Amino acid sequence: MTAATDMMTGPAAPAIRKTPKGTFDIVFRNASFIAALMVLVLLAGIMLSMIIGGWPAFREFGLGFVTSSVWDTQNDQYGAWPAIVGTLSTALIALVIGVPLSLGIAVYLTQLAPAWFKQPVSTAIELLAAVPSIIYGMWGLFVFVPLFAAYVQIPLSNIVEGLPIVGTVLYSRSPSGLGILTAGFILAFMIVPFIASITRDMLEQIPSVLRESAYGIGATTWEVVRHVLVPQAGVSIIGAIMLGLGRALGETMAVTFVVGNANRLSASIMDPGSTIASRIANEFNEAMGLQMNALIALGCILFFVTFVVLVIARILVSRVKSY
Amino acid sequence: MLSTLELSPQTLDADAPVRIAVKNLDFYYGEHKALKSINLDFRDRHVTALIGPSGCGKSTLLRIFNRIYSLYPEQRATGEVMLDGRNVISNEVDVNELRSRIGMVFQKPTPFPMSIYDNVAFGIRLYEKPPKSELDDRVEGALRRSALWDEVKDKLKSSGMGLSGGQQQRLCIARTIAQKPEVILFDEPTSALDPISTGKVEDLLEQLKSDFTIVIVTHNMQQAARISQYTAFMYLGEVIEFAPTNTIFMNPHKKQTQDYVTGRFG
Repeated sequence: MTAATDMMTGPAAPAIRKTPKGTFDIVFRNASFIAALMVLVLLAGIMLSMIIGGWPAFREFGLGFVTSSVWDTQNDQYGAWPAIVGTLSTALIALVIGVPLSLGIAVYLTQLAPAWFKQPVSTAIELLAAVPSIIYGMWGLFVFVPLFAAYVQIPLSNIVEGLPIVGTVLYSRSPSGLGILTAGFILAFMIVPFIASITRDMLEQIPSVLRESAYGIGATTWEVVRHVLVPQAGVSIIGAIMLGLGRALGETMAVTFVVGNANRLSASIMDPGSTIASRIANEFNEAMGLQMNALIALGCILFFVTFVVLVIARILVSRVKSY
Repeated sequence: MLSTLELSPQTLDADAPVRIAVKNLDFYYGEHKALKSINLDFRDRHVTALIGPSGCGKSTLLRIFNRIYSLYPEQRATGEVMLDGRNVISNEVDVNELRSRIGMVFQKPTPFPMSIYDNVAFGIRLYEKPPKSELDDRVEGALRRSALWDEVKDKLKSSGMGLSGGQQQRLCIARTIAQKPEVILFDEPTSALDPISTGKVEDLLEQLKSDFTIVIVTHNMQQAARISQYTAFMYLGEVIEFAPTNTIFMNPHKKQTQDYVTGRFG
């Protein structure tokens, strides 16, 4: 009824839309502001509680907390150095193994793979990225570790024993399969899906006309990929690698399973070690007093290391962009 | 008849040797037959324009000459495309070597992610290892020929991506001619450019034809009329009419051609 009347009077008296009262706008604006503010509050809160919690340890040991290799719960002496080295070396190993593998996967899938092969592999990568880290840890401990001990650690130790440098770095005193290198391998498997799928997406976004023009001047597939496609996607690939590095640095569960959790620092990547995250996961349950403070201080350092990695990534990315 | 078209007096040499001879060429995208028994001769050091409505197969034809279609497994060609006595669509041809001899410039500028200098040197370095001084000379020569030298000589080390669209397209032309190809294929090279940049590229084409055999696909009929000596009008995968450009535009034999060049369809 009303509609009919409206239609009749409609054209004669055009309805002028009044600006509605601003109440909802104000509520909406404030609500979204609070949502955004939450990020800063959360970050500040976490940082503050970490610093407060870790402060007694920092005060007790000073700079020595970072450089000392002692971790003695009986005498309440704590140093973070082995865990820091473990964290950085496992992450570095993961990158060294994972990055070429990821780039290879991405290039093959986007440039070379026949259609029937492309889809299953792409789906498998997405699935791998969704596997919880505890699964990687279990698989690593029960399947990878024994194989690694039997077929890599023992034979390799026999070969390198007594040799300079490699005899130290690759020699395993107790070939249990656990260790820094094993953790690096497991981490590599974990970050490959991330780096590979982002890199694949980036390569796929490159316009086909650029690829055709690179082929069009007579470049081979390798030359096209090496000189044109990968540099074209360069910034994004660095971003993907940094994302993987971030994950490798902070990964806890899988590493705790396979790293061996030794508190001593060893020069060999075949020997057990520990990372910051694995040390915290191992000891948090029973920690009290200064040990608890030391663990929180370790967390602080991990926070700081991750932050530095992020900053370096940003600098790298902006430098590549400006070129 | 065509008052809007400015036909420049094109000198064509009817005795010029045939550089590319196309005989009974068919082309398929999967099951779809996109080109139907094409027969065309492209004369040495002449500009041949391919015109026709969208989807008529002119770009497809161009992409056969340097085997770019081979990148896509579902595309195939049958017939003959003879270049220097070799059938370029046969499997015996080394496609990379072929592509270094048949340059191609695309619709959109495609500078590579490297410096201006390296962009031009890239194609040379793929097949030759000239000493630094000779390489410098060839890069400079190519940039001069593509009328870009004065604009970039002070920033050869900066990225090719930082140039304007028109400059990028001339950079791509420089990259192509630096390889000293015999034939250059242009696939609507000015469709993404503003009128001034278009004018510069057209001037460039005018100069390049003294050294290169040029095949150009264009939607712009004025452009075809201005720069080409031969024109092929294509429609639905077939060559309807192939003749000197003046004939096509002033005195076409087929009604379809006349309708198209006068803008009645297309």
